[in-house]
Amino acid sequence: MKIDLTKPEAFEELKAVQALMLVMDPELGINIVDMGLIYHLDLTDPSCIVVTMTLSSAYCPMGDSIVQGVENTLQQQFPNKAIVINLVWEPIWTPDRISEEGKILLDRG
Amino acid sequence: MANISIHKAPEQYVVLPFFITSGIFFLIFTVLIVITGRGLFGHHFQPKVLAIVHSLALGWGTMVIYGAAYQLVPVIFERPLSSSRLAFSTYILLTLGTCLLIYSFWHFKIGLLMCLGGLLITFSSYLYFYTLWMTTKDVEHLFELRLYFTLSAFWLCFTTTLGLLLAINLFHGFLTKSHLDILKLHAHVGIVGWFLQLILGAGAKMLPMFLLGRSAKTKWLYVSIILINLGLVLFLLDGYTHPVGLRSLIFGVIVLLGVICWAVFVVDCYIHRARNILDITMKHSFISFLSLLFAFFTLPMVVQQQFGSWVNLYFVWLFLGWITGLILGMTFKTLPFMIWNWHYKDLNGTKKIPMPKELYSQRLLSIQYYLYLLALFVMAIAVAFKLKWLLYCAAWTWVALAVVYVLNIVKVVFHRRTL
Repeated sequence: MKIDLTKPEAFEELKAVQALMLVMDPELGINIVDMGLIYHLDLTDPSCIVVTMTLSSAYCPMGDSIVQGVENTLQQQFPNKAIVINLVWEPIWTPDRISEEGKILLDRG
Repeated sequence: MANISIHKAPEQYVVLPFFITSGIFFLIFTVLIVITGRGLFGHHFQPKVLAIVHSLALGWGTMVIYGAAYQLVPVIFERPLSSSRLAFSTYILLTLGTCLLIYSFWHFKIGLLMCLGGLLITFSSYLYFYTLWMTTKDVEHLFELRLYFTLSAFWLCFTTTLGLLLAINLFHGFLTKSHLDILKLHAHVGIVGWFLQLILGAGAKMLPMFLLGRSAKTKWLYVSIILINLGLVLFLLDGYTHPVGLRSLIFGVIVLLGVICWAVFVVDCYIHRARNILDITMKHSFISFLSLLFAFFTLPMVVQQQFGSWVNLYFVWLFLGWITGLILGMTFKTLPFMIWNWHYKDLNGTKKIPMPKELYSQRLLSIQYYLYLLALFVMAIAVAFKLKWLLYCAAWTWVALAVVYVLNIVKVVFHRRTL
């Protein structure tokens, strides 16, 4: 996930990404940022954070806990902001979205 | 919160009892093997063997599949279970019915008790079918998976109904056909229509998920469904009018082609996978499908025997190799995740929490795998060559395996949250 450091909210975005790296996919054992599940973070509105994300499949049995984890971690880091999660299925998640670190963890580096 | 609802998992009380009870039945089954001993070498139509087979097919296989289906179907089809109460009542009916049936077969008490057992199990299968149907009837996508799940449930109802008729026929003979010939149809509708179809359907969804693999070859799944059901229907029609013989092999080959079509899809997923896992649960699955192939390979010899070593070996590959192997592995791909969701879902992202695989003992799982390999191998040799002393070795290895499996299940189910 790339962060544009010239944007005024870049610091907060970095903080949010670091927080999201605490959320694990329980089945795979790697965090959801390295999994490539986070598509976009919008922090332009000072009152809320909008997370656009997906799951590895629409019928992921761990989907509920992952979405809950995103809400938990961001709420901890940004207690004064509302957390809005847009769960989308387009573009569809593919293994190509896994980061190099994630691939190493999946033994496919 | 997310604008798409994904919270579809059923209540714990709907699923957990199936897993716990199936483990107990597996343990009972292994003890019954020890007690029966060399009786296993004889004809399959003897009271103790019938009791053993039903403890395995109903108490172990069907029980755990019900539980797994109630957990997976809502997740796969993105619909909550149509009725948790009905789902739970299938547990009560199946458990009571199986206990009655095992008891009546073991003591060969033909009559009302046996029929009552059969009736409860038949009701249970109808309710399972109804629950599944009502849960998935409005789902417009994933048609191939709906076919796998719905058709397998239909064949389960067919199997249990036929079984009930056979139970009635034992004390009030009304069937014009040979009881033993109908028994063969009953067994194979259960094996091919229920177990095979359900396992392939669940596998077509689970294996790509575990491997992070994808395949566009879903047409192969449709072909697989058509071939399996075609082979089964032709086998039934032919088997009702003629005794099972060499001609029946044609239908076995049609079913095998169906399995191969399914394997084309799964292999394509494996090739296009992101995850390179070969953990013990997957090794169990591999040995399990190898056993299924062995069962197919023994068919030419099996159809020429009324009873004997090949028939016994065939059932060893099917029930102990294929179905049991798959359950032993897949239990630890489903049960720990349910318990984890229960304890840690709300804590995800807030602190370091254990992962699902830390809820069970990897060491026990490893011991379980090697005991399974040993038990299966020794059992196959003992049955093939009718070696009495080796059969006892195998039987005790199965007991040890069941104890290890149940201990690990207990560890998962009674996991305590320490955070």
